Amino acid sequence: MSFFGMGNNNQAVNPQNIAMAEQEVEMMSDIFNRIVRSCQEKCINNKYHEADLTKGESVCIDRCVAKYFEVNQKLSEHMQKRGEARGGM
Amino acid sequence: MERLNAKEQEALGQVLEAKQLKEYLRMYSTLTQNCFKDCVQDFTTNKLSKKEGECIIKCAEKFLKHSERVGQRFAEFNAKQMSS
Repeated sequence: MSFFGMGNNNQAVNPQNIAMAEQEVEMMSDIFNRIVRSCQEKCINNKYHEADLTKGESVCIDRCVAKYFEVNQKLSEHMQKRGEARGGM
Repeated sequence: MERLNAKEQEALGQVLEAKQLKEYLRMYSTLTQNCFKDCVQDFTTNKLSKKEGECIIKCAEKFLKHSERVGQRFAEFNAKQMSS
């Protein structure tokens, strides 16, 4: 088996692929940070009576994350509808 | 996400490592600011009181656990998205 000469060139690095993957990671990271900040404001009591999350805070966080994604989805659909209504403008 | 070959995955891995470090530092600085804002009120002295010190630690723990939980729900949601 030879590693040189002919053979498929699938070990080449396509910088575009990496850039796209990086963009996607960046986007996910951004959404994550926004959710952390938003749900902290809505769910976490800032008196810090204890170091653990209370049951109430835990449940709030779960619901907060779910709703955030739902808002994201809803707006995505809405924007799409608007775009179509204007004839794709 | 596009399928990346081994070399591309390696290159992406390095980029992600750098990003992870940056994220960690950003979180650390957010944590400091948040916990300072919520816990430190007493400026009759330039040393943290015992109460303030304890508050800071609880604040940090709470935030980190919060962030962890969001991470779990986030990952679950993404897994569901990808399989649907």
